[in-house]
Amino acid sequence: MNTAAQIEAECTGLRHQDIVSLPLGLLGFEQVKEYVWIQQEEEAPFCWMQARRDLSLAFLVVPVFDVVPDYHPHLSDEDVEFLGLSAPSDALIYGIVTLRAEGRATVNLKGPIVVNRFSRVAKQVVLTNAPSYSLQHPLPAAA
Amino acid sequence: MLVLSRKSSESVVIDGRILVRIMRVEGDVVKLGIDAPPDVPIFRQEIYKEIQRSNQEALRPGIGSVPKLPRAALGAAPRRLRQAAEAVNGDPKRC
Repeated sequence: MNTAAQIEAECTGLRHQDIVSLPLGLLGFEQVKEYVWIQQEEEAPFCWMQARRDLSLAFLVVPVFDVVPDYHPHLSDEDVEFLGLSAPSDALIYGIVTLRAEGRATVNLKGPIVVNRFSRVAKQVVLTNAPSYSLQHPLPAAA
Repeated sequence: MLVLSRKSSESVVIDGRILVRIMRVEGDVVKLGIDAPPDVPIFRQEIYKEIQRSNQEALRPGIGSVPKLPRAALGAAPRRLRQAAEAVNGDPKRC
């Protein structure tokens, strides 16, 4: 039987301190092209993507399928090609999380970050089925 | 802003590497075809702005701490296969 730690590693796909390259940056942060994945056990499944050269720039992200199991992201051919995804299982999909007042949090499902798990090249994509998804999908709160 | 008049099937070339063609004009809807290298991101402006704003909002520090999710909300292993299938077998048409 798997331990919790193994399961988390399996879910997340990226490990603590992995470097992910975003050649086009995030929308609005196009100049920042390298992020370090920071993962603390007590924060799982959330991770921080920390700009490699700017410690003040960090985004909280979560593997979308961990929080929205019925997510059906459709990528454009151009994005699949850009990321060099040759098999479906090459893709890891993260959503950027916004922490809000009163302990609430939302995740952006329209513009996820898709990572090629082998090359660690990533892109913030706009899904071709983006209209089906919210920019501010509420995360379930712990009881 | 530079303003050019173009007819259906005419184009403009930007920077010698981006081609924008008027594919069709129907009433107040203009269909554009864009040929650009892969390092040139192309978005509908309203979607670009929406996601840019969302990214900036996500950066606001000190609003709250990283949430704890209920264990039941954490999905099970088969999702990776589903993720995979959806990711690549998506709608082949450009948004």
